[in-house]
Amino acid sequence: MLNPFLAQQGGAIETPQIDYAAILPILIVLGAACVGVLLEAFLPKHQRWPVQVGLTLLTIVAAGVALGAYVGDAPEQGITTLSGTVAVDAPALFLWGTLLALALGAVLLIADRSVEPGGAFVAQAGISPGTVQDRAQVSSTGMQTEVFPLTLFALGGMMTFTAANDLLTMFIALEVLSLPLYLMCGLARRRRLISQEAAVKYFLLGAFASAFFLYGIAMLYGYAGSVRLADIAAATAGTDRSDTLLFAGFGLLMVGLLFKGSVGPFHTWTPDVYQGAPTPITAFMAACTKVAAFGALLRVLFVAFESTSWEWRGVLWAVAIISMAVGAILGLTQTDVKRMIAYSSIAHAGFLLVGTMAITDEGLSGTLFYLLAYGFTTLAAFGVISLVRDASGEATHLSAWAGLSKRSPLLAAVFTFLLLALAGIPLTSGFVGKFVVFSAALSDGMAPLVVIALVFSAVAAFFYLRVVVLMYFSEPAPEGPTVSVPGAFTTAAITLGVVVTLLLGVLPAFALDWAGAGGFALSS
Amino acid sequence: MTPMTPTTPLLAQATAEATVSTGEAIAFWILGPLALAGALGMVFARNAVHSALWLVLTMLTLGLLYLAQQAQFLGFTQIIVYTGAIMMLFLFVLMLAGRDSSDSVVEVLRGQRLAGALLGVGVAGLFATAMARGLADVTPAAPLDPWSPEGGGAGGLGRVIFGDYLFPFELTAALLITAAMGGMVLSFTTRHGKGGRKTQRELVEARFRGEYERPSPKPGPGVFATANSVATPALLPDGSVAPESLSELIENTSAARLEEQRRQVAGDVPKPDAHALVAPDESEEGKGK
Repeated sequence: MLNPFLAQQGGAIETPQIDYAAILPILIVLGAACVGVLLEAFLPKHQRWPVQVGLTLLTIVAAGVALGAYVGDAPEQGITTLSGTVAVDAPALFLWGTLLALALGAVLLIADRSVEPGGAFVAQAGISPGTVQDRAQVSSTGMQTEVFPLTLFALGGMMTFTAANDLLTMFIALEVLSLPLYLMCGLARRRRLISQEAAVKYFLLGAFASAFFLYGIAMLYGYAGSVRLADIAAATAGTDRSDTLLFAGFGLLMVGLLFKGSVGPFHTWTPDVYQGAPTPITAFMAACTKVAAFGALLRVLFVAFESTSWEWRGVLWAVAIISMAVGAILGLTQTDVKRMIAYSSIAHAGFLLVGTMAITDEGLSGTLFYLLAYGFTTLAAFGVISLVRDASGEATHLSAWAGLSKRSPLLAAVFTFLLLALAGIPLTSGFVGKFVVFSAALSDGMAPLVVIALVFSAVAAFFYLRVVVLMYFSEPAPEGPTVSVPGAFTTAAITLGVVVTLLLGVLPAFALDWAGAGGFALSS
Repeated sequence: MTPMTPTTPLLAQATAEATVSTGEAIAFWILGPLALAGALGMVFARNAVHSALWLVLTMLTLGLLYLAQQAQFLGFTQIIVYTGAIMMLFLFVLMLAGRDSSDSVVEVLRGQRLAGALLGVGVAGLFATAMARGLADVTPAAPLDPWSPEGGGAGGLGRVIFGDYLFPFELTAALLITAAMGGMVLSFTTRHGKGGRKTQRELVEARFRGEYERPSPKPGPGVFATANSVATPALLPDGSVAPESLSELIENTSAARLEEQRRQVAGDVPKPDAHALVAPDESEEGKGK
């Protein structure tokens, strides 16, 4: 009985072809994350912070350089490598660039120690909150420097997620990007219980969403006999197989993806996690996770489900409307700035979904541009939020923001500009983003949806303007918060976000050209 | 596409001789309900250990089902790795964390349980009927040859892992590193760092340097006394009460009264003092009456 088994071992395994130049940015990021873990093990405690910050910033810059070097002579149609599991094409390259630039800003916020002595992260996460040891460590200026390698792992996962060409790779990339985020959510220095609650909530709901995603993969495998996006597309085009598996699988897969993008009815984790997580991590999550999730969503819809778009479009219409309604209407009732931005991100996810549904070149480039614009604006917004502080940490309650323009005119002006960008006022990137997304949806025959989206943008604009009015036309509270003078890192991150928001609003042509450079690589 | 891709269309592969043998059918109808019972038991068991054991049942039956479908390697991996290693680890953790802790049955959101049950049953019914309809006219797949690369044997899996899915396989390393580091971050505290716990030696040296009020530990209750109750104070070698041995919590107990009675017997009670700014201790007066 064993003989045939032993006879089998003759055949050599074919090694897959690897285009190292194309995937070099991912390799640099993941490799540096592993080096960061080793540094954590071997360096004495006081040397860890400067070395980790230097390594992380250097890694992101190096990955950006590698990406720039590859973009110059990349084939226009894109390539697939590693036996078709990774597709490096124009959208993937654009999203990688976006992710690296946003991660640079987020790492600057994470590394900042001037606003809060010791940084926004707890010195020793293993100490239970509220104990004697916990009160003793409040005054210490250490931090868990493991945050830096974790950020790099999350970034590597996000980059893989946007380039994954089959559902199995996509699932593992999803976990690689999620696990570090779950962890980092629970590491806040102040208000540790609410931070840990956010981490547990995110972890449990994220695991639940991953289960949906996996079940969807199983169904789609049952339908197409393969997890590759191209094979699923081939199976959907002209087949007499029952569509039950296809659409059940599609629905479950979408639940997993939309959860990560905090869209519509799958948003319930967003406000609590955004509020509880340390603000630099919230900035990282809000900017980069949204980019990664929508990048993957675009690829799945464009590559695998393009030919069935008539069947699923109605469902996504409903999801987009629910998302915009929830974000805009519940955002009105919020009294906490971080929660308000969280609901704003849900509304923006709805607008993004409008562009994603337009399976055209304009829809693709518009959504990519919107992601770029939204990421930088929200990154800078969370950077500003981290500066308004009182004795107990960040003063995120809206009443504390009353009359802030009298305390710090510059900060109020910057935040006003960012809120106007989120609302989509002309001369900001938000306006251009909404314009390209909505015009793509219009030209793809979704006029009613665009009208609904415009109504909800107006509703959402109301709560942004409410904060602006509060900052400029209210008397400051007597015991109000102070505005910290940011150090170099936070200043750089906020400046980056604001400048990009302004540039994309005034001169969007460059980014729009790049976003529209080409479609997804379709060969498997 | 390379010839090694594992794209074996399971449902579409309709060959003439592909039928389910009687033995396999019997195995399915015995093992299927068992797996389902295990899954339901896992969800509904109140005790976490029972839940884990129900899950073991499901995993074992799934492993046997794999074996029945000629995926021997997968079946044994399922039994050895999942049931053998992972579930036992689960049980260890549950035992360490306290096996008595069971789920709280308090309903935080009103009507949540009912709504959840209704929706869950609805979704399950929807899935079951849709699957039953979608899979009704599917021809069973031909039995795969487990010795071939596509057949699910160890060699075939190795080819898939190190060929077609090399990248996701390597990527799981990032996942494992993250998980290991997460465990460390969330549980590790430095003992000797600032504010950490001191060692025995450091503590002794600190005591003799005078950083604490006395070098020796406080006398416990009942030392040299006739009883060892908490309420009985320790006596010093000369027969007097060691005040440090008295708990401040049990003030008005027989232990506290003992001291007073001792003083009365010895005639050591302070005389009323006209120049005193405060009256003598209220409690003593109260007891005296």
